Amino acid sequence: MNFIKNVINVWNAETRKFIVDDGVLVFFLIVPFLYPLLYMYLYSREVVREVPAVVVDDSHSALSREFIRNVDASPDIQIIDHCSDIEAAKLQIKNHNAYGVIWIPADFNKDIAEGRQTQVSIYADMSGLLYYKSLLSACTEVSLDMNKEIKAVRLSGLSDREKEVAVQPIEYDYVPMFNSQNGFSTFILPAVLMLLLQQTLVLGITMMAGTERERRRRKNLRLTEEYGSPIDVLTGKGLAYFIFYCLISFYVLCIVPKLFGFNQLWNFFDLAMFVIPFLLASVFFAISLSTFVNDRESCFLLFVFISVPLLFISGISWPACSIPTFWKYVSYIFPSTFGINGFVRMTNSGALLPDVKTEYIALWVQTGVYFMTALLLYIKLYRSESTPETEEEIAVDLDVEKDED
Amino acid sequence: MGSKKRIRLLLLLRREMRRLASRPIYWMSMVGAPLICFIFFTTLMSDGLPQDIPVAAVDADNTATSRSILRNLDAFQQTEIVHQYSNFAEARKAMQEGKIYGFFYIPEGTTRKANRSEQPRISFYTNASYLIPASLVYRDMKMMAELAAGAAGRTSLLARGYTDDQAMAFLQPIKIDTHAISNPWLNYSVYLSNTLLPAVLMLMIFLVTIFAVQTELKDGTGRQWIELAGGRTWLALFGKLLPHTVIFTLMIVFAQIYLYKLLNFPLNGAMWHMLLLGLMFVLASQNLALFICGLIPSLRWSLSLATLWGVLSFPICGFSFPVMAMPPAIQSLSAMFPLRYYFLIYVDQALNGWSLQYSAQYYAILLIFILLPLTNMHRLKHSMLNYEYLP
Repeated sequence: MNFIKNVINVWNAETRKFIVDDGVLVFFLIVPFLYPLLYMYLYSREVVREVPAVVVDDSHSALSREFIRNVDASPDIQIIDHCSDIEAAKLQIKNHNAYGVIWIPADFNKDIAEGRQTQVSIYADMSGLLYYKSLLSACTEVSLDMNKEIKAVRLSGLSDREKEVAVQPIEYDYVPMFNSQNGFSTFILPAVLMLLLQQTLVLGITMMAGTERERRRRKNLRLTEEYGSPIDVLTGKGLAYFIFYCLISFYVLCIVPKLFGFNQLWNFFDLAMFVIPFLLASVFFAISLSTFVNDRESCFLLFVFISVPLLFISGISWPACSIPTFWKYVSYIFPSTFGINGFVRMTNSGALLPDVKTEYIALWVQTGVYFMTALLLYIKLYRSESTPETEEEIAVDLDVEKDED
Repeated sequence: MGSKKRIRLLLLLRREMRRLASRPIYWMSMVGAPLICFIFFTTLMSDGLPQDIPVAAVDADNTATSRSILRNLDAFQQTEIVHQYSNFAEARKAMQEGKIYGFFYIPEGTTRKANRSEQPRISFYTNASYLIPASLVYRDMKMMAELAAGAAGRTSLLARGYTDDQAMAFLQPIKIDTHAISNPWLNYSVYLSNTLLPAVLMLMIFLVTIFAVQTELKDGTGRQWIELAGGRTWLALFGKLLPHTVIFTLMIVFAQIYLYKLLNFPLNGAMWHMLLLGLMFVLASQNLALFICGLIPSLRWSLSLATLWGVLSFPICGFSFPVMAMPPAIQSLSAMFPLRYYFLIYVDQALNGWSLQYSAQYYAILLIFILLPLTNMHRLKHSMLNYEYLP
């Protein structure tokens, strides 16, 4: 019973402490509240449209003009200029007016008329993968359509159905699943949201621990002022962060995606069951990390930059199957690795708890391991309190001993 | 510079170097963190492109033709068929569990229909919530589907006495030929590392600069620091930040030599253009951080703002998703991030290898970042002399 009383007291005291600490609230409240909105706004258009391109038409034929018109009409590309030669076109790219060049050769019309294969060349600016994709897909689509028409004309003796089969003997379909628009934010956002939960917990908790260390150094506070044994204090604090973050997670994982009309294929109960060990693992992971923190502000220098590698190591942008073994093992250290993978599959592809079993178990294992490391840290802190710390104190103690002799 | 000033400068430099040496957190964040990230990103993606991405097949047709289609798909470098499922639902489930990134579906009767000219339909599916593997799997599968269709068409044309060239000209009258010189996205490491490395360094420059300056206020040594410089703010800042500049410049030079000389990433322009960019980028980042110190005389709040700025730099510089496709307000905002200009200059100079004049405007904007502290350093001095640290 004493344990429960102590835990509740610590929980209460800890919650009161961070609720008035505006430094910690930046991490616990402002960042989780605003950053996802900013991020969503940034990527709100999902895909790249109307990439400006220039065209060099050496063919000057009805067919080449049709090609250009069709490309311009596609949502991906906007033709902003016609240039007389490739050099003039490249100058447009160098001056950052256009991101691509489409060159139609002089023999374009003649080749087609005489049954030879002809070639349209595209040059893309290097500054973005998505410019290149837009240019390539717009031109490919247009060429496929025009190819069909050209072939149909050549097969004028056949019936419509026969033409269709001759032009395309086997049809195929492509279905992008679980992100049907192939959108950029659908892909990156779920990962960012989970990472945000872990990282703000780490920053907030280590900032609180740093503050406490500072105060203790100034001898204003001793751990014993708080209640009970290390395990009581750790459980109480963990509970305080965990409960607060249950609310934050609900906003970040359920409300934010809803605001922007994102995939939300999860089942609420399964998601909640999954988020519980994720939060617990993150909380105790953060408390364990606080061993490296000596003052209030060092968390910024130590833990902010990790977010970037963590996003890559989670297997969302760079596929997990291609991550070198060493980094794969490193990735198992962080709750975000499992949290991100589980959440992405739950929200984008409707996976249920059994479908993310591996991640779910891993998060509970992490919870256990990090609870133990955090406990060791607290026991160590308690011990260091009961032994003298500074040289002066040791000297004083020795003096006392001498006197006693 | 008068000899008194020179002595003051030497004293300031010695003071700062001692401060840097005395706290491991400085070494950790100035050298350790960037180095870890340099090594991390370059080794993580050392393959350039992911190899053997696991995919599956559902072959309901199960004929010699369908098996040969799947064998061909497996032969592609980027994809590997790890499993055959007996039906669509099983394959979908495997994708949900994250075991595969895509699957190829050949329905029953495909071969029979193809032989009878009934135009059968094959399908392929990718898990588009993983953008990079999905796009590679898509590329291989589409190629495979095209080849399967083309092979069927070619066979019937050759049978009618067409030559190979004539058959190709018939099947594909217009062909799209792509030119992307030193194509950076044939290798994701080139595409990403070139921006991620300086970006991480920039984040650390923001944080360390603010930490080093504002800690003076927190420790109550601000007055002593300014007085050591004889009350000259600029001398005080120069003496304090010069050692940082040297360390950070060495770090970015190391990163560039590592990328362009050791890993042989494409560098089509002159190396010194990149080195100049590196130096200006370090100075721009340091001075933007100083400007923030002048704006907010609080260690914690200025660190918070710098963190926001640093973290936001990654998406907003446009290296993964183009700025052009962002909302107009964000497009204007992106102009206020030094990383944006590092990225643009890198594209012009290292990838495209254009002459310096086409990037001149970007170098000029970096210079504006460098000059920013001119506007508010008097406020920093004022806070050093008069303010108290509030936790």
